[in-house]
Amino acid sequence: MQNAPVTSTEAHLDRLRGDVAPVNHNARTIAALTGNPGCRRRAVLDAAGVDKKAMSVHIGHPVPFGQSTFAITRGNAFEAQVKANGCAELLTMLRERLGLDIAEVAYNDLEEAGGNGSREVRHALARRMIDGAAAGVEGAGTLFDHPLLGLPIGGRTVYLEPDLIAFQVGAQFHIIEIKSFPVIDGQADGGKVAAAAVQSAVYVLALRRLFEELGHDPQRVSHNVILVCPENFSNRPVATLLDVRRQLTVLKRQLSRLRRVDELLATLDPGLTFDLGVRDGTATRPAGEVVAALGEVEARYSPDCLDMCELSYFCRAEARGTTHALGRTVREELGGIEFVDTALRLAEGRLAPTVELAETAHALRTALRMRTECLS
Amino acid sequence: MAEPVEELERRIERLRSAVRHAVTTGDRATARTLRAELRRAEDAWEEALDDLADQAPAAPLPPRQRAVPGLLPLREQVHTALSLLSVPAAPRLVVQVHHAFFGEDVPSAKLTSLRRDEERSFRSAPFARPYYLCAALTADRLAPARGLLAVSTWPLEHRIVGPLSPRVDFLTAAVRVAEHAERLSKVDGGVARLLWMFGANIPGAASGIGTAAPAAVIRAARAELDSHTGVDRSHRTAAAARARAHLDDVGQLFGTQLRAVRSRTGT
Repeated sequence: MQNAPVTSTEAHLDRLRGDVAPVNHNARTIAALTGNPGCRRRAVLDAAGVDKKAMSVHIGHPVPFGQSTFAITRGNAFEAQVKANGCAELLTMLRERLGLDIAEVAYNDLEEAGGNGSREVRHALARRMIDGAAAGVEGAGTLFDHPLLGLPIGGRTVYLEPDLIAFQVGAQFHIIEIKSFPVIDGQADGGKVAAAAVQSAVYVLALRRLFEELGHDPQRVSHNVILVCPENFSNRPVATLLDVRRQLTVLKRQLSRLRRVDELLATLDPGLTFDLGVRDGTATRPAGEVVAALGEVEARYSPDCLDMCELSYFCRAEARGTTHALGRTVREELGGIEFVDTALRLAEGRLAPTVELAETAHALRTALRMRTECLS
Repeated sequence: MAEPVEELERRIERLRSAVRHAVTTGDRATARTLRAELRRAEDAWEEALDDLADQAPAAPLPPRQRAVPGLLPLREQVHTALSLLSVPAAPRLVVQVHHAFFGEDVPSAKLTSLRRDEERSFRSAPFARPYYLCAALTADRLAPARGLLAVSTWPLEHRIVGPLSPRVDFLTAAVRVAEHAERLSKVDGGVARLLWMFGANIPGAASGIGTAAPAAVIRAARAELDSHTGVDRSHRTAAAARARAHLDDVGQLFGTQLRAVRSRTGT
């Protein structure tokens, strides 16, 4: 029977995704979730682990997406420099900025567990080391390089491959995030710092969760993360404390929303699927069907999406002509008017405004008058 | 048969004036043949010049500017640098040290496969060479430590990397480099940069921005070493004893890998 009741959320998500392995979240995608919390399309697709990139290519709106290889190389080189020689540069900074004790130099490489790089083994090792450190075992360590943390997202444990070291000053654990964008005269690119803050907040959350599971006080994980960046135009690293409390709150709310994904699913047609019908590496399902399926779930496009969602080009094409496609500011200014065309007609007086829109219509007419005056 | 350069130069001179004459009198056919001959003569002159350059005794370059691969085999260059440092080191540091003290560039791209080649060589003919470039072993699992090179003739304790060892090895390397710099008659750019790299990251070692005196580096590094060596040595001794008890020769030099247990307990 086609409309058989779905037994569980998990089964429903599997059906939505189709016969392919789910795409895993990482700190970047989790961070991106907070960017546009109102988008139901993204919430559903991400919860189901749909390969949005393959989908965007299939439906003809590919996104030139992903990190530049140059940026990745630069990031890795800077990270290697900071960690070279037993984290010599990092220790110097931590001693100067945070008053780290001279004796606190123990370093644990958790990137491999005895040559075994599998996620389960590495996660188990990281758990054991951090448990030892939190319990105050003698010589348990100060710096932990690349611990593999887990965070349940939408009912699945997501392993986070953090680009960082968790570290202990006194009894507090801090997340260290090494980024290769420069801090010039004490100022860094706001957007990049914000992105780093959200990513670090994901790690803080994962580490706090681990503490809870191990029976330690999660508040021992500091909400101040240490951001290490090159200083000015040199390659010299500089450490800055970054308060991520706000990001933590947003993340927690987002993740709790993700957990309520079953409520979102309840509103969908049980027969709906985003399966691309991949056979031998190529998608066989007609693109029109996929587009129709996407149309079943409401999206909330805003220009910010272009930076972080693989489907953004599709949503932008779909949202053409609506006021919210012009950005959050415009949408708020023109509250109640959905289409650009309506706004134009109101401005030109070709449409009589309703009572609710009288104020907006007045503003639009004024704007048009001023524009005409400026241009004439 | 090559003409002497002087002869060529005179011929080129003659040809040039003949070409000019042919062009001014409007004799295009002659001008074309003469020009072709002139080009051949010029080519021959370039070749003769190259031969002369090869025959000339090479002027000795100042050692610091000689950024060429050295004459020693790669493994000996690495061995020299590691012996100077006396502790397991990352390829990057090996390259820096070799460049600063011996003025030769070690091709760092080749260092990545060096340890594997040495292991293969050791497995096929154990102890056939006076030394092998081998791995440093992690204290907890006796696995090869990522990205560190060591020398097989060192005591096993020196090749163990415990939690404190990266710092201890860094400080020991700083002392060794500074001692070596003290023996030099003149500390030049490369060595000074190396000293500064160590000095800047040891409390109390740097005497100003960009400069670190060898004596100050040694004093500061020893002071910090005092607070780490005791614990570090106990880790190393315990791990080395375990390695001797449980590992064969290959394992002691190149480490063991953690394997999945499932493959052996399968039905």
